Amino acid sequence: MGLSNASGDLSTEVEVDAFRRLFPLRFYEKHLSESIRPDARPLGRARDTTIALGAVASANGSALAKIGSTTMLAAIKMEVMTPSTETPDEGCIAIDFHMPPICSPIVRPGRPAEAAPVVSKQLSDTILSSGMISLKELCLVSGKAAWMAYMDVYCLDADGALFDTALLSAVAAFSHLEIPVVSLNDDGKIVLLSEEQEGMSEREPVNKEKRKLTLCNIPFSLTCILHKNYILADPTAEEESIMETLVTIVLDSSSQLVSLYKPGGPVLAYTSAIQDCIAITRQRVKELQTILEEAISGMEVD
Amino acid sequence: MEYVSPEGLRLDGRRPMEMRQIRAEIGTVARADGSAVFEMGNTKVIAAVYGPREVQNRSQQISDQALVRCEYSMANFSTGDRRRKPKGDRRSTEISLVIRQTMEACILTHLMPRSQIDIFVQVLQADGGTRSACINAATLALADAGIPMRDIVTSCSAGYLNSTPLLDLNYIEDSAGGPDVTVGILPKLDKVTLLQMDAKLPLDIFENVMGLATEGCKAVANYIREVLLENTKQLEYRRGL
Repeated sequence: MGLSNASGDLSTEVEVDAFRRLFPLRFYEKHLSESIRPDARPLGRARDTTIALGAVASANGSALAKIGSTTMLAAIKMEVMTPSTETPDEGCIAIDFHMPPICSPIVRPGRPAEAAPVVSKQLSDTILSSGMISLKELCLVSGKAAWMAYMDVYCLDADGALFDTALLSAVAAFSHLEIPVVSLNDDGKIVLLSEEQEGMSEREPVNKEKRKLTLCNIPFSLTCILHKNYILADPTAEEESIMETLVTIVLDSSSQLVSLYKPGGPVLAYTSAIQDCIAITRQRVKELQTILEEAISGMEVD
Repeated sequence: MEYVSPEGLRLDGRRPMEMRQIRAEIGTVARADGSAVFEMGNTKVIAAVYGPREVQNRSQQISDQALVRCEYSMANFSTGDRRRKPKGDRRSTEISLVIRQTMEACILTHLMPRSQIDIFVQVLQADGGTRSACINAATLALADAGIPMRDIVTSCSAGYLNSTPLLDLNYIEDSAGGPDVTVGILPKLDKVTLLQMDAKLPLDIFENVMGLATEGCKAVANYIREVLLENTKQLEYRRGL
């Protein structure tokens, strides 16, 4: 890093900070020419990722995911509803993404952030179209009762790669989800059985035990920035604001392409650049799978 | 329903004068100027402070002091049933106002004219005492942001059920219909900045209950001071002092 001064001389430090603010693009290009970024990451490496399951005790399933400083909290609440007549055997999933003002200095109260509805739609589309969850698993009594899963993802700290972290937390929350035990009462309505009632109730529970959803083809994603002929994986908020061309690639656990998203941007990419992004994403998906599996097995030990 | 058993234990096993377990952490939101997470039992609240920064709405700028804004919102999954409207409803607006006025009383706003200080509080889990947890979290976040204050503000609630004053009510005790006294104090100056109560209470019992809540506030203040001291030691260590 050519600009830092090892002795910590105050005047040079101020110059570096000022240079970073006044000429951000030149600051970054000086680093990129040495194939490194200001936080000492090589171009293709993502930030440290952690997942904590069960962060919200009152929800049926929850997870807190952090990629670098970007933090997302996802929680699922289940309610019983009547399924529609066209799909009497299927439940429903509603996914909502929120960016409260705590997450970033740019978000003003009363006015939702620009990125919030975009990520919300992307997240919803990706999860529903990836086929990760079979809606038939959410059915209770065909034609009469089915589960509605409300998932809320809250961004607690917005430092770039919002979609990646949101998807990771959503997927982790689904893997942590436990469907509560319910039974049919005399009016034909479904009631939740709490733990004390389980032993005492004479009614037959509709589902015997708290079960988890079977997830197949779990989607994982990686956002990359294209700048001239560099590809930067997992950008921070500062990088995203300076170099605006983003490419988000979603692959599932069997390395099939679920979605590819390049919403314009000043850089026009050749197919080779996109293929390089896909290759980096493939590596990242393997990392994310291991991290998720460790988090799940860590919970089971408890 | 019995909220205090004959042996003197409450529904969650606490004694009447016992607070729930508190836990606080500073600096959780990297992008904010100051942030903190505060937990009182199962109630978990995250606060972020942005400021002092330029006023976003020029017409609201005050020429001789800082403008303090506060927004309180609850996550959809924070309560037992999923909430449809997390902010903008009357309760959230009222609590936002209460927190703003409480914190404004202790911030030295005249030192930062023509600027704005934003306090955002998000409730992640609600189990009674959210107002108090929010004020405690906001205090820590303001301290983390380095905003000059007269004193820290701590808050605690107390109630009166089954003829016993109870400290730090949880959600079940709060919804029992008995009185709920929330007190916010500046501990060093020994001044009350927030006092709210609902339901009826005879005056002499009220003094007891308010005294109990004030004791609770002082206990929270001791804990907050420890957390801030520990944080400062960490910062000193990292700077190599």
